[in-house]
Order: sequence, then C-alpha cells, then structure tokens
Amino acid sequence: MKENRNQKRGLSLFTDGAKRSCRIGTVPGAILLVIGVISIFFVFVKNSSAELTATANHSHINVDFFYHGSTMSIRGTSDPGVDLVIKLTSPEGHEVLKEKGKVGGVLWMNVATLKLDHISGMYFLHSTKKVEDILSLEEQDKYQIGYPALQRHVNMSPVANEEEKTRWFNEFVRFKEDSRVYSTSVGKISVSPQYGKDNYYILTEWPYQVPPGNYTVTVYAVKDRKVIETAQSNIVVEQVGLVKSLAGMAKNNGAVYGAVSVFAALAAGFGVGLVFRKGGGAH
Amino acid sequence: MYLYLPVALTSINILIPIGLGLAVGLLSGLFGVGGGFLMTPLLIMFGIPATVAAATDSNQIVAASTSGTYAHWKVGNVDFKMGLLLLAGGLVGGLVGVQGIKVLQAMGNADFVIKITYVLMLGIVGTYMFIESIASMRKKKVEEVKQEKESGFTRFLKTLPLQTHFEKSGVTHSMLLPLIFGGFVGILAAIMGVGGGFLMVPVMVYILRMPMHVVVGTSLFQILFNCIEVTFLQAYTNHSVDFILAVLLLLGSTFGAQIGTVFGRKLKGEQLKVFLAIIVLVVTVKIVFDLTLTPSQLLGQAGGH
Repeated sequence: MKENRNQKRGLSLFTDGAKRSCRIGTVPGAILLVIGVISIFFVFVKNSSAELTATANHSHINVDFFYHGSTMSIRGTSDPGVDLVIKLTSPEGHEVLKEKGKVGGVLWMNVATLKLDHISGMYFLHSTKKVEDILSLEEQDKYQIGYPALQRHVNMSPVANEEEKTRWFNEFVRFKEDSRVYSTSVGKISVSPQYGKDNYYILTEWPYQVPPGNYTVTVYAVKDRKVIETAQSNIVVEQVGLVKSLAGMAKNNGAVYGAVSVFAALAAGFGVGLVFRKGGGAH
Repeated sequence: MYLYLPVALTSINILIPIGLGLAVGLLSGLFGVGGGFLMTPLLIMFGIPATVAAATDSNQIVAASTSGTYAHWKVGNVDFKMGLLLLAGGLVGGLVGVQGIKVLQAMGNADFVIKITYVLMLGIVGTYMFIESIASMRKKKVEEVKQEKESGFTRFLKTLPLQTHFEKSGVTHSMLLPLIFGGFVGILAAIMGVGGGFLMVPVMVYILRMPMHVVVGTSLFQILFNCIEVTFLQAYTNHSVDFILAVLLLLGSTFGAQIGTVFGRKLKGEQLKVFLAIIVLVVTVKIVFDLTLTPSQLLGQAGGH
C-alpha cells in the first residue's frame, strides 16, 4: 500500500510539470521547461541519495579476556517504499578445508582438500523480503547478495562439474553456519515511517567465533528488482591488552613463546607437586 | 565464566578446560599415559581448532607429567635409567616416523593407513591387556604357565649384548631393548600423531617385565620430555600453542595427576591394567564409530588427523 501511494505521488509531480510546459508553448518556455525538469530530476536524485544511511552501534569491537561476542545493531533511514538488504562481510580471501568421504565403501575419513578462492570468511545477510523475490539474478551477482550469488562468484577446486560445485558449496555453507560465521534472515529488519522517510533497524548477534579483522556493513535499497542505492559502514574487531600481546608473541616470537609456555608448565607441575607434599604428607 | 583464548580465537567457559584437565590428569597419574587420545578430540568438540587443540594439549601434558613424575618419584616409582633409554629410542623413532609419514603421503591414502594402524594398535593392545590382567587376577596358574612359555623369549633376550641391571624396576636387560622398543613406539606415535603412552605402557609391562607402579612413573617421565619437545616445536613452527588454554587445562591436570597417583597406590597392578585396558577399548570403539557412522559435516578444518 505504502509503495503504491509513493508511486502515485511521484507520478502526480511529474504530470503537473508536463501540463505547465504545454501551456507555455514558447522557446523561452521550453528552456524553462528543460531547466525545470532537470532541477526536479536533481532534487529527486539528491533526495534519494541522502535518504539511505547506515550506522552500526559499534565501529570498533575490543577483544579482551572477557570478550564473549557482542550484539550489533544497524540503523538508518531509507526512502519509503524500498526493500532493504543488509550485508555484513569480511574481505574476500582463501579457505582450505578437508573433504570427508567413504573409503572402501565403509570408512569415513579425509579424502581430499577443498580450496576456495574469492570467498568471505564471514557473511551475514538480512533482508526485508526473500532476496530472489526482490532482486534480479544480475543484481544478486553484481553485489554478491545471497548464497547462490556467492556460489557463482567463488573459485573452488577440485570440482569436476557444476553439480559437484553446488554439492560442496552447500557443505561449505553448512560448515560455516555451524561455525556461526555465516547466516541469513528474512523479515527481521523492522521499518517504521517517520516524516516521509522510513527508519529501519536490526539487532543481530555478533558471535565470538568471528575472528579479529575488518568488516563491512553494506545496506542496499532495492526497488523494481534493482539496487537503487547503497550505504556503507565499517567495523573493526581488534584484540587489546594482554590478549593482543600474547597473540602477537605467539605469532612473531615463537621461540620465546614456546620457552615461556614450557617453563610455565614445568613450574606449575612442580608447584602443585610441592603443595601436595606439604599439604598431603601422609600419602 | 568465559575467557577469550588469544591463539584459538574463541571464547570458552573456564569450567570446561579445568574439568577436562582434572579428568585427563587423573588418568595420567593413574596409568602413566598423557591422555592426548582423549583430550585432543574433546577440545575439538568444544570448538578449539584441531591444530591448536593438539599443540596446547602437549603443553598441558608437560605440567601434568611433571606433577605426576614428581609424585611418583617421591615414592621411588621412576626408573630414570630405563626412562632415558626409552626416551633416546623414542626421539630417534620419532624422526624416522616423520619420514614414514612423508612416504605414506607420497604413496597416497596416508589417512587410511594411519587410521587403520591406530585402530588396530589400540584394539590389540586393549584386548590383550584386558584378557591378560583379568586372567592373572583370577588364576595364578595362568601366570605361571605364561612365565614358563615366555622363558624361551627371555633366554633370547639374555643373549643380547650390553646387559645391565635396572635397579628400580628390578630387571636385567640389554640396553638395546629399551632403545629398540622406545624407537618402535616413537615411530608409531609419530605416524599416528599421538604421544604413544598407551603403547609405551604395554611395552614396559609385557616386554620389559617392569612392575606396573614403576611403569606408570617411568612412562610419565619420558612423556614429560617428549611433550617439552613437541610444545616448543609447535610454538616455534606452527604458532599453535594457546597459553591461556594450556593454563586452564593444567590448573585441572596438575591436581588430577596428584590425585591419580594417590588412587593408583591404592590399586593393585592388575587392577590398574584392567582399567587402562577398558579405557583403551572404549576409545577404540569410539574411533570405530567415528569412522563408520556418517559424519554430520562433510567438511572439516585442515590440520591434524
């Protein structure tokens, strides 16, 4: 209903302008008409580009010892009458996983290594309606919206044919969803009209399984099966304090880190041994 | 209460690693095994990446085996001479085993060979220990007949050069014997990607004829050195040791090892063998189920067996 009303309002604005130009009927009048149309066009475009905004409640998530994930709320305004798609992703990268298969028809074990290129390690997608109902295939592929679009975009090896690619991509998505770094939802974005615009809002979980790194929130305004506007926001997940120092030492100073780990374990073992000797002399 | 693990990159309820450490440390103090065959799969089950689980487990075994060796040493149950010879053999065997993995990988189907070897070894060792210890608990006669049967083998062992007396164990063997069998266990352990405690204990009991309580203390002693080496190498080359997870695990395992040692002293050698055999058989059955039942996921993380 809302969509219809907006379309009607847009149509009447344009019709008024056309009537006026017919009445003028002179050269200066034609120039005025062109200027009028252009200015209306610019006002329209300017308005719509100013409409879509995206703000995440956290732009920086600090990972300390007590970090157990977070929640992420994304809010903004959009033109009335558009559908919305919100995508949270990590930069594209490379994944290597082990494929399990039957050996000798009886035993399940690792049988091959599956390599995926141009794939995001994290992918959360929320939309007001089913993606395939509101976006054309071309637009899904262009903006990588939805699992089928990801499948068409990713390079996977070894896969013999498209059927095998689909099978292993579905397994990949299942693996990622179980690891809580891939998810999709439909209808969880709440939209409320205010002053001729729509305010949208979604509250999602940010699982602790999402590793430190840079993430992008992209909001797409969708109309007539096309993306008409996008807005972006960035999120940085970063280790801080002792967590950061330990992770850095493990990565950059392996020898010292190994020696400290061994020494601490030896000291703990002896320490507890001594405690038991003092406390449990009877044994 | 949850803590974030900086290398595993995940958050865990601290009661889980402390509880797991306590349980596996208890087994360690009781039976002289590192417990990696239990701990590593359990850590993976709780969301720790496979490579981090294996490396961090080695780190906590350093603590548990230090605690256990110390407790056993206090009551005179560590044969250092035997332990050092087994260790030397084990280190050489480990190097050979790593080359063995390369050969298997070059031949293809390495995973298949490794898994089958693992299951067969666990199954044979567990079954043999179980039957033997139950029989020796029930009938002394069986033990006597067995000893007579094995006297031929014992005579052969006596002909080997470099005979020496191992005071703590109360046995006389060629120094080559612990070196060779230590090497054999080292090869298998490296190929299977496990510490090898469950193989070393039967070798000491049935081939080196050491008393069960000395076996436990001596096994822990050589596990300690193996795990120091593995922890350092894993931290240095793979950066996969999670210090915080190791601390949580060893909080439980160091105490568990002490409690296990106390319990162990109250049990007879045969009883200890029966319990260890049962645990080894349960693990075997679990692995057989894992291999034959359709997995919930057909994709898994790379790394580890």
